[in-house]
Amino acid sequence: MGFLTVLKKMRQKEKEMRILLLGLDNAGKTTILKRFNGEPIDTISPTLGFNIKTLEHRGYTLNLWDVGGQKSLRSYWRNYFESTDGLVWVVDAADRMRLDACKEELNILLQEERLAGATLLVLANKQDLPGALSAQEIKDVLELDKITTHHWSVVGVSAVTGDKLLNAIDWLIGDIAKRIFTLD
Amino acid sequence: MSVVQKQINVNDEIDNVCEDLEVKLKYTSNITPEDVLKLTKITDNFLCSNNNEYQIEFTRFKIRDLETDTVLFDISKDPNMPETNEITTTDDKQQDGTTEDSGRFVRYLFSATFLKLKHVGATVEFQVGNKDVKNFRMIERHFFKDRLLKTFDFNFGYCIPNSKNTCEHIYEFPTLPQDLIDQMIACPFETRSDSFYFVDNQLVLHNKADYSYNG
Ligand SMILES: Nc1nc2c(ncn2[C@@H]2O[C@H](COP(=O)(O)OP(=O)(O)OP(=O)(O)O)[C@@H](O)[C@H]2O)c(=O)[nH]1
Ligand SMILES: [Mg+2]
Repeated sequence: MGFLTVLKKMRQKEKEMRILLLGLDNAGKTTILKRFNGEPIDTISPTLGFNIKTLEHRGYTLNLWDVGGQKSLRSYWRNYFESTDGLVWVVDAADRMRLDACKEELNILLQEERLAGATLLVLANKQDLPGALSAQEIKDVLELDKITTHHWSVVGVSAVTGDKLLNAIDWLIGDIAKRIFTLD
Repeated sequence: MSVVQKQINVNDEIDNVCEDLEVKLKYTSNITPEDVLKLTKITDNFLCSNNNEYQIEFTRFKIRDLETDTVLFDISKDPNMPETNEITTTDDKQQDGTTEDSGRFVRYLFSATFLKLKHVGATVEFQVGNKDVKNFRMIERHFFKDRLLKTFDFNFGYCIPNSKNTCEHIYEFPTLPQDLIDQMIACPFETRSDSFYFVDNQLVLHNKADYSYNG
């Protein structure tokens, strides 16, 4: 039994995953977190730190970390990279003006060594808004096809209606599980 | 899941560990996470001073029942307001504090139904001062008399200077044996907890609470 196998076994016992939600301010990270947990989403204010949720989901203990995306906070993101299994990059698909900034910030993260082992889920959020770009369009604008360093997927969702959100997260969990837990 | 752990009834052992800690505190003032995880009962005293150098302020506690999707308990405190020891909450739960060690001790009055909950979410909201807080870890020990009911151990990691943060633990409430439930109801305030907060393995905050379930 190799070292990696031993490691995998150890992780499997805990069945714990650390998932980090990042994205520009106003993208909808906190709304997604609350929607996923069945909490009211009508009184959410900008995040000036982090919001953590720990919960059981499909037999795993998920630690979800949502860190504020305002410009002044982005330099602190790196403090949350360690041991991240999944990165959820949340995009306001209706905010066309800021897609360049969005792409830039994502590219910085993808070069980050401590995120090298993380699965990437891009959520093209706010699909309920008429002007929102589709998942396909977001994929093109962010040039996701160029990513070779991470497992990734892009899904169009709406945190407000909840549409496709659960499926997207389950894909992420499934991908992480395949990578880090052995299948007995 | 067996969160209710084996009762430790070797009294000597209990006293040893607690005495050692008190002694240790006198000489080193360096209480580690490993120390408090070994505790077998509620401490007699606070294990650190109340000077709170990182200005960590807890501003909200909330408990919701996920089975019925109701908020059971939600208290907020405006950290800019002077400390008050009476906080009124909704329906059958209330809270007050004592005057000594202001803010470090909380008394919870619950009803018996609280012990029957199955799936709950417990939220804390806190803010930190203008120093960054590295490796922030919370260890909470819940006892009924000298019986350990539950240990929470969670590492928040890094907190941004002047940040406001929240953390919700959603968990299966331990199924308590009926005789234990009966005792907990019959003996108000014998259910108690110590909350220890560490920054870089240094104990920086220690709060206490006690609970009654006959409200
Ligand atoms: N129409 C629509 N609005 C959304 C959706 N998701 C979030 N919003 C709104 O977008 C605004 C920002 O949402 P937040 O969840 O606070 O965004 P955030 O990414 O957490 O922002 P920061 O905490 O500043 O980083 C809020 O007004 C939400 O109601 C969505 O799917 N559709
Ligand atoms: Mg937010």
